[in-house]
Amino acid sequence: MTTKIFSLVFLLFTSLAISQEVDIKGAVTSDADGLPLPGVNILVKGTSNGVSTDFDGNFEIKNVPINSVLVFTYVGFKDLEITVENGDPLTIALIEDTESLDEVVVIGYGTQKKRDVTGAVSIVGAKTLEEIKPIKVEQALQGTVSGVNVTSQSGAPGAGLDIRIRGISTNGANGPLVIIDGYQGDIGVLNPSDIESITVLKDAQAAIYGTIGANGVILVTTKSGKKNSKTKVGYNTYTGFQQTSRKLNLLNATEYATLLNESYAAGGQALPYPNVSGLGAGTDWQDEVFNNNVPIVSHDFNVSGGSEKITYAFSASHLYQQGIIAPKKSDFKRNTARLAVGADISEKIRIKANAIYTYIDRDAINDFGLGSVLFNALNTPSTIAPYDANGKFTLVPNNPGLGIEIINPLAQISDTNNDYDLRKLNGTVSVEVDILDNIMFTGRVGFNTSNSEGKTFSKEVNYGGKVFDVPRSRVDQNAINDNDYTFDAFATYSNVFSEDHNVKLTVGSTVYKQFGNGLFATGYDVPNNAWEFADIALATGTSEGRDVGSYAYDERRLSFFARVQYDYKGKYLLSAMLRRDLSTRFGPENRVAYFPSMTAGWIISDENFFSNVNAVNFLKLRASYGILGNDQIGNNGYVSLLDGEATYVFDNALVNGQAIGVLPNPDLKWEEAKKFDLGIDIKLLNNKIDITADYFINTRDNLLIGNIPVSGITGISAPGSGSPTVNAGKVENKGFEFAIGYKEYISDNFKFGINYNITTLKNEVLEVNNSTGFLEGGNFGVGQLAPSRMEAGQPIGYFYGLQTNGIFQNQAEVDAHANQSDLGAVAAPGDIRYVDSNGDGTVNADDRTNIGDAIPDVTMGLNLNFSYKGFDFSVYTFASIGNDMVRNYERTLTDVNRSNFALNRWTGEGTSNTVPRVTTEATSNNVFSDYFVEDASYIRIQNVQLGYTVPADLTEKFNISKVRVYVGVNNLYTFTEYRGYDPGASSGAPIGGGIDDGFYPVPRTFLVGLNLNF
Amino acid sequence: MKNKFIKTVSICIIAIAYSGCTDDFVERSAPYSIDSENFFNSEDDYYNALIGAYDMLQSTYANAILGEIASNNTLCGGESATDVIGWQQIDDMVHTPVNSNLKDIWNWMFAGVNRANYILEFKDKTNFEGKEIIIAEARFLRAYYYFELVKWFGPVPLKESRFQLGDETTIPRSSVSDVYAFIEADLIFAANTLDYNAPQIGRATKSSAEALLGKAYLYQDKFTEAAIALENLILNSPHDLETDYDLIFENQGENGIGSVFEVQYTDGEGASFDCLQCSEGNVAVGFSGIRNYNGPQFTSGFSFNIPTQEVYDAFEVNDIRRDVAILDIEAWAAFTGASFGTGFDHTGYFNRKYLPRIRSNDAAGDLNLTNPNNYRAIRFADVLLMAAEAFNRGSIDDSKARLYLNRVRTRATLPDVMSSGNALTSAIYQERRVELVGEGHHFFDLVRTGRGNQIDGFSPNRNEVFPIPFEEIQFSNGNWQQNTGY
Repeated sequence: MTTKIFSLVFLLFTSLAISQEVDIKGAVTSDADGLPLPGVNILVKGTSNGVSTDFDGNFEIKNVPINSVLVFTYVGFKDLEITVENGDPLTIALIEDTESLDEVVVIGYGTQKKRDVTGAVSIVGAKTLEEIKPIKVEQALQGTVSGVNVTSQSGAPGAGLDIRIRGISTNGANGPLVIIDGYQGDIGVLNPSDIESITVLKDAQAAIYGTIGANGVILVTTKSGKKNSKTKVGYNTYTGFQQTSRKLNLLNATEYATLLNESYAAGGQALPYPNVSGLGAGTDWQDEVFNNNVPIVSHDFNVSGGSEKITYAFSASHLYQQGIIAPKKSDFKRNTARLAVGADISEKIRIKANAIYTYIDRDAINDFGLGSVLFNALNTPSTIAPYDANGKFTLVPNNPGLGIEIINPLAQISDTNNDYDLRKLNGTVSVEVDILDNIMFTGRVGFNTSNSEGKTFSKEVNYGGKVFDVPRSRVDQNAINDNDYTFDAFATYSNVFSEDHNVKLTVGSTVYKQFGNGLFATGYDVPNNAWEFADIALATGTSEGRDVGSYAYDERRLSFFARVQYDYKGKYLLSAMLRRDLSTRFGPENRVAYFPSMTAGWIISDENFFSNVNAVNFLKLRASYGILGNDQIGNNGYVSLLDGEATYVFDNALVNGQAIGVLPNPDLKWEEAKKFDLGIDIKLLNNKIDITADYFINTRDNLLIGNIPVSGITGISAPGSGSPTVNAGKVENKGFEFAIGYKEYISDNFKFGINYNITTLKNEVLEVNNSTGFLEGGNFGVGQLAPSRMEAGQPIGYFYGLQTNGIFQNQAEVDAHANQSDLGAVAAPGDIRYVDSNGDGTVNADDRTNIGDAIPDVTMGLNLNFSYKGFDFSVYTFASIGNDMVRNYERTLTDVNRSNFALNRWTGEGTSNTVPRVTTEATSNNVFSDYFVEDASYIRIQNVQLGYTVPADLTEKFNISKVRVYVGVNNLYTFTEYRGYDPGASSGAPIGGGIDDGFYPVPRTFLVGLNLNF
Repeated sequence: MKNKFIKTVSICIIAIAYSGCTDDFVERSAPYSIDSENFFNSEDDYYNALIGAYDMLQSTYANAILGEIASNNTLCGGESATDVIGWQQIDDMVHTPVNSNLKDIWNWMFAGVNRANYILEFKDKTNFEGKEIIIAEARFLRAYYYFELVKWFGPVPLKESRFQLGDETTIPRSSVSDVYAFIEADLIFAANTLDYNAPQIGRATKSSAEALLGKAYLYQDKFTEAAIALENLILNSPHDLETDYDLIFENQGENGIGSVFEVQYTDGEGASFDCLQCSEGNVAVGFSGIRNYNGPQFTSGFSFNIPTQEVYDAFEVNDIRRDVAILDIEAWAAFTGASFGTGFDHTGYFNRKYLPRIRSNDAAGDLNLTNPNNYRAIRFADVLLMAAEAFNRGSIDDSKARLYLNRVRTRATLPDVMSSGNALTSAIYQERRVELVGEGHHFFDLVRTGRGNQIDGFSPNRNEVFPIPFEEIQFSNGNWQQNTGY
């Protein structure tokens, strides 16, 4: 009752107030950058009285009743309602709405409103890129998008990253297709701040890309200017200091010598260190190779704007990063320049063009595998000093205990000299023509053209009989030229029938061609044995063999596609796609491929029966099914070419002839991916909560297995030959993705958002149709059997080795157990007890079994951001659970340094059931087993950033619309039980990828940055 | 006006778009490449393919070192008991069909067969003067590879042209006698066609073919045929014993008068572990090298193929060959001040004939894999001893047998053998062992003469041949059976 009275009184007052009208002036800006927004619609609520802002974001609206409500609307921004209290001028800041349902999503050969999207699609916007501050764009996808996992091949500057969308589906290339503004491109060389948005197509939605879409598609849209906007100028910079994110716990000199004495004593040999006192801690080789306060600097400058018909954007950037190991010899420089213009030539013709020039200069040290700098730092004994009495690098002794591979890592760094430069130009020109009212034609050409030069100088050097000795200096140089173009022509017809039936039809074709060549040459006897003189021009020596080589390629693809999108009242959505591909990758018998797919959606929240459900603002069910292809295999696999190696010696000189290369497979065809997805999108509580969940089953059939094992009688093991590539496998990935976001605008001063996503993944190989039933890969130790397999019923690339069951505590246990001598040595107390898994009474290679895999069962991202007044704070974290890694950075020789868990070794009955004894005697403890497989689950705080924006009224005096300063930390901390450097690293190989040869850890970076907008 | 412009632009774009859009767009030939089925159009093509067939000889390093390790001459050695596990198992005679090193030998020798067959398949395509020489060499090489295959694996599939995928399921393993018949036919053709002088050093000669033919006969106990072929070589070829036994295995001794067939190696090109069969160097040499050696004359290696005390002691007193064949590292180190490390199975002895020598500065790396030491596959001394064996065991002429045997002994500064019959046979066997120690022949000599049980762990009726690689049995889909006992 009281409420009613109140309402009445209220009504009365408002109606009274109507009589009072004012004229209101004001300005509208963007909350994010403080720049004026032209063209914002302003409407007095409940009336038709409206205006829009001018070029400078100013407006004036007349005859506005006091206490009426002004509604500000602008595409891409949240609506804002302001109650008019008096005639004072208004300053309005609109908040960008990245989650808006009206947001336009790029879906390949067209766009779609987000509410209408029926595939599994994730988007990363410019804001996320800005917060994460990725050095390479790929990093921004880790933890921000469900179903996507990014692994680094190394923490070295400029090292490659691998993106995997919904798991590993093939033993071949698993990288997704990257489309930049419509053309095929390379995400790895882009400047992150040139990117407007990244769209990830995870399911059959990508089928419009046919034979190249099976690994998922990443659509990158670069920034362009906005029409009717004043020139915006931005300058962003940061500088940072890097250090290693991890150090391993190794033995110090005293511990090392003590343990070595024990080992020698156990082997019945004289003690190498009869007196260990006075050895102290010795050399910490990790401290010797890792540097602190290693700089990284980034500058980024951009200008954009537009008139009624023209838009333009220009940007330039510079990034320089040094490595935490050998800062001057492992570094990465990237300079980019970019220009984007758009013009409406007439009412019916619009053209757009953009071009990016990229220059990359990268120097690298050996950061991978046996022989890497870290491998040497880990294995060189701490009793050895880095420098001798004369200040020269100490040689690591050449003896059986230390082998012939381990060298002084500082000497190695000093002797490393190389250079890689890339110059790349890529871009696109497109034209859109409205042929009829509802038919639009798009034609566009995108291209990449790049030239790279590489040079490696191998200094003449003698490490005292090690395998890395170089008796004769040489310089290897290469020049590589890669080009491609993507030519699209397609027409889109859209119409509405009987008001409720919306139809959109897209038909077109794509022509793709890539071509290029590479040239390699080597010169010997570099003058003065110095990098300054390392060029073939000066190195006039030749070898007996051929010091030159080259290759060329010309690969083509021709595609036709059609897509129908239909919806009834915007509630029931359907789309169907068909693509026809021809590719030079396929054999003559299988040149043509067809890829059909369908997606459907139902917006339940639009149904009448749903109108009463207030808590749920939006509810959509989605389903998709389709067939996609993967053609990423070697070229010309269907024809037998004379590119084998035929080199012999006649008359005491090398002669080169000709021999057959890889055996052909005329039936070669694409891999077929069958993708099923069921998804749901929900928005709750006034759109504050946003949920997306998907269940997917991806089956990859006809896997292209390169170099498939076939009978050796066909000559496949000849130099330069190989087994054919055959469609012979099947892999299934099943999983569940869930993402939830919560946003709260508590007041204009206090906002926060939380995003969480989780992805589960189950990988299973269903078929390997070669006669052995498995494929092998990876390397463990020296000369050991391949540790990783792809085999039906197991996850792809699972680790195949012996299972352990503790340590033999006494001779009775040894005698009671199956004989292990086939492994190489008779077992003794203190040795690892292996499981006789086939129960035949002896332990040998036949007892190998599944002892783990590198594929995470679950990955998660948790991302938070707060802002309070001028302060903003964000945290990005990522977790990977259930991935295993193989510890292979230990050179299993008697005298090498070890991790300090060796201190917990078995020394007598009951002392240890996990770490075997130390001895110089022959043992079988180094045979590949689960002793070397560790759980590499981890949680990583990837980015933390705290920023402060100086109040606009202070900065505007200087004509600066925004000044923001921030501090941040990248890779702040990694929580893991894994003992190696980086649980998130992988070589990227589907089989043998999780083997840790001493991965270069990702650096922890402390950043200070500044954003300026004019 | 405007409409016209739009139309023109649209038509242009559509025209451009579809001009490239016929399916012919993807019909292109691979740039700068030659289709293997469209070759052999000139003499050069045949010669180039022949180089390819010779190339596989370099992969026989594996046969040489493993033949030695399999015998009672040497132990496997290496870094540890698990270093090259496949070799360790063969040393202990516990090898199984799963053995990547045996698989290498199978694969590489068949690759050799196929490269020879590639030429022979197209032998009639183009005619030119001297083609028969190339054809004869190709047949010699095919016989050489098949001889290795039959020695190692017994029955193997035969084909006159390249094996194709699927042949493993249809072509049976021919009996050992059929394989030898195939080898004999090739070698008879080669011996009849080739000259005693090769057009280039390193290419097979009439002597090479005759020697291998004699050897093939001897392996079948066809003593008469062996004696004829070998004696013909001894009497008519320009070969003779190298007077200085020590010189034979040094660089200056390569392709010398005593070398009947020699596999050529060089360190002029680099190599890596990724493709050992691609090395132009002798991989077995680096593997035989002294671990962590630092001193004169030799360089270091991986300490495999370690001679036993027993073979060291098998030399007669005053035999000048012992210290050429076997290095006593302790004595050498004491004498020269050299340092060295000890590996697995260390006996103090190394296979001096094929130890890595100090290299020129121009040697390409990985130095362990590119040692230039040629493999003296068939030496004249071997021919003499084979002839002696044929004359003796065939009960043809013991005096001739003694004549040839004693030529070898004389060079070794040993007194003549005067015995006959079985005593002479034993003397010939003994002489073969010490003359040819370290050269990869002894295991097969023991096996073919029924003396395999001299090897530790040897099981008669099993270890005479090696198992067919496990995968090959799988590939054959029931077409091939595993060798007895494996």
